[in-house]
Amino acid sequence: MLILNSVVNGVLFGGVLALMAFGMNLMFGVVQIVHLAYGQFIMVGLYLVYVLAILYHVPLLLSCAAATAAVALLSILAYYLVVKPLLKAPPINQLLALAGVWMVLENACLALFGATYKGVQVVLPVLHVGELYIAASNLIGFVVGLITLAMLYLFLNKTYTGVAIRAIAQDPEITGIMGVNPRTVYLVTFAVGGALAGITAACFVPVYSVHPHFGGAFTLLAFIIVILGGMGNLLGGFIGAFIIGVVTSVSSTLLNPEIGQIIVLLICLLIIIIRPQGLLGVRGK
Amino acid sequence: MKQIKNLKRGILLFLLALLIVWPFLFQSKYLLHILILIFIWSYVTTVWSYMGRFGLVSLGHGAFFGIGVYTTAILFNLHHVSPWLGMFVGGLVAAAIAVVLGYGCFKFGVIGHYFAIATLVLSEISTLVIIALRDALQTGGRLGLTIRSVGTSPLYLQFDNKMYFYFLALALLLLALFIWKKIDESKAQMALKAVGEDEEAALSLGIDVVKYKTAVFALSAFLTAVGGTVYVQFTMFADPTTCTGVGLSLGIVFKAIIGGMYTLWGPTIGSLLIVILEEYTRLFLGSAYVSYSHIIYGLLIIVLIRFLPKGLHGTVSEIFQGRRKREAKTLLAGRQLAENRD
Amino acid sequence: MLELNNVTKNFGGLCVLKNVSLRVEQGEFVGLIGPNGSGKTTLFNIISGSLQPDTGSISFLGEKVTGLTPNKICRLGIARTFQIPRPIKSMSVVENVMLGLLFGSRNSAPARREDMKQEALKYLDITGLRVDEWTMPEELTAAALRRLELARALATRPRLLLVDEFMSGLNTSEVFEASQVLKRIWQEMGITIIWIEHVMDSLMNLVERVVVLNYGELIAEGKPSEVSKDRRVIEVYLGEES
Repeated sequence: MLILNSVVNGVLFGGVLALMAFGMNLMFGVVQIVHLAYGQFIMVGLYLVYVLAILYHVPLLLSCAAATAAVALLSILAYYLVVKPLLKAPPINQLLALAGVWMVLENACLALFGATYKGVQVVLPVLHVGELYIAASNLIGFVVGLITLAMLYLFLNKTYTGVAIRAIAQDPEITGIMGVNPRTVYLVTFAVGGALAGITAACFVPVYSVHPHFGGAFTLLAFIIVILGGMGNLLGGFIGAFIIGVVTSVSSTLLNPEIGQIIVLLICLLIIIIRPQGLLGVRGK
Repeated sequence: MKQIKNLKRGILLFLLALLIVWPFLFQSKYLLHILILIFIWSYVTTVWSYMGRFGLVSLGHGAFFGIGVYTTAILFNLHHVSPWLGMFVGGLVAAAIAVVLGYGCFKFGVIGHYFAIATLVLSEISTLVIIALRDALQTGGRLGLTIRSVGTSPLYLQFDNKMYFYFLALALLLLALFIWKKIDESKAQMALKAVGEDEEAALSLGIDVVKYKTAVFALSAFLTAVGGTVYVQFTMFADPTTCTGVGLSLGIVFKAIIGGMYTLWGPTIGSLLIVILEEYTRLFLGSAYVSYSHIIYGLLIIVLIRFLPKGLHGTVSEIFQGRRKREAKTLLAGRQLAENRD
Repeated sequence: MLELNNVTKNFGGLCVLKNVSLRVEQGEFVGLIGPNGSGKTTLFNIISGSLQPDTGSISFLGEKVTGLTPNKICRLGIARTFQIPRPIKSMSVVENVMLGLLFGSRNSAPARREDMKQEALKYLDITGLRVDEWTMPEELTAAALRRLELARALATRPRLLLVDEFMSGLNTSEVFEASQVLKRIWQEMGITIIWIEHVMDSLMNLVERVVVLNYGELIAEGKPSEVSKDRRVIEVYLGEES
């Protein structure tokens, strides 16, 4: 029962993780960039919610919406200042420049908020369904995650820009044929990716108090999922998120949480080496 | 040409002599402390650039450093093993991990940013392992551990007078620079350069890509762990944030980028700048403001990668080299012209 | 010397080589022709170990070489050039050739750098490329880069040389000069050559035997005079032109 309980909560948490991984995956698939500072954007989102809701007493939902918009803007800014000038540079330079962004954001938060946990104290009930105990925070995250992903699905399939994004993700050379300016597509991708980081942050509000070091943890978590599903493989990332959600939840119930994470990371290393296309990917191209 | 070379050699010898007599001339403990830190980080960054300069960007050196730190500390604290031996054991453990990970990556063609990510994962694992072993091996988890003090004991690599560490760290740095030179003059340098640029072409010329890459990775990991040992004997305290993990790995890479990872002195210059920047902000703005120095340093990274991807020293020496090469060429052309005329 | 048995290679469902069997004898000069996309370069990649065949085997000098890495195959005595030259751009032309001397050759390279340089210049000279010590690859024309590829491959002292296009984009006198280079390598240095080329007449004039690939299948082989009369070969080439 204990295990079943943690599986259910893991699946629910997987909804948020899917959202988080989707953003990183989208940027990798479309712009071919490993967004090393992605978790820091989520962290900034959490801090923004804290500032608005606690320090300025803005209603929580409004704070979340404003934080999402702000993170999307920040992401656009990062695109213009850091990514765009390096689009033609070797991938390793892009990665290191984004590591610089990581450093700046993490230390900016450290300077502004100090190395203590800041959180919005939202007390959410734990629901009883039959014999299961489900944290309402996980449920909210799950629902928001799925709704957002559904909207993204519509965006990627029904709008012209969305189709262009998907096309580039599949074949970077296709833009010329479609008559789409790749720079515009990249910009939209970064905006969407930023907004996803913001929404992820909003979903994390009831779950985590935030600390400047959390950004790195989020980045790694997103990384693991993306690697598991195959980098740039959107569906793979979606499934990977649920796997990681369940594995993390179950292993922290059964084992020491660090050992659980170490095992996950070791699997991750093996995948990078042996199946870089991800567990669920097809070896192609 | 020759004069410039002699001048350069003269300046270097003077600097070295100055560094050797420094602790006897100036009594400031604080400056000595800073210099030791500069030597240790320059050493680690130089050792990192053995591979970084050939496009093998490792984000896992924090893990190797941590292995050196914790192997020594645990062996000494729990089993009373001398850090001299611990240094060696830590180095071997680090090298073994590098061989396993490196062989796997290079055999399967994991290169460029994929290699960086694989090593990044290693960094994170190292932090988690230290935390997970908080009780089993008394690593102290996030809170850190203190090396048992035995006063001054050369056998146990503990000195109350920091001057010993000053010379030890300086010697390590000189060793790292010497090995850099040796690699640069060796056959391996050409192999690694070719491999870094075009692996398939290198293979087609008979270069054993996996062998050279794994070897340089293992060497670099071994020496990094040795640096960790000296560092922890110096500070007598270790915790996962300062001694291992992703943050430390990035710190090493950034120092190399800022100074320039393609030149002999680049990593040293980068480390010098960063340690001074950190100390300056800490001293004049207060330790709460160290994060400001990190913001500057992060911004510097972004700007440098954009405008001077070869780093400060790298760019300057490239300008000089370019000029020298051109001069040599015109000289030769002139000579040929003269010969033809004869 | 070289023997391919039923070599097949698929790329994601697309069959690039279908049951190719081929024997090359010591001292032969073989031309490998076929329309674009017929699998010529893939065949070179498989012989040199860059790609592994899905089925079939390759042996060289009576030894099985399937599954060996390209660097091992190079040291056994098979050298190749790339269709699009791949010099190491950060090294000088001479250093590029030194790479072959240092790593590719079974014999040990000269110990002194000066001797090595002279040796490298000698190989560059064989291919007709005259440069000085400081010339960088970026200063070379496309045709000269091809010569660098060839010199670098020769520096590994191969027994079998795989030449992937040497003449495209050259004018008539350059083509003549280039064919003299290949002839010298074959006759004077005694190196067996397999040569892919689109400049058909100079190939037909030079080689002893022609092998024709079409859609991954070996459709004809024989003396140049016979092959050029072969009905299927004519169809393939006429088909391509129309």
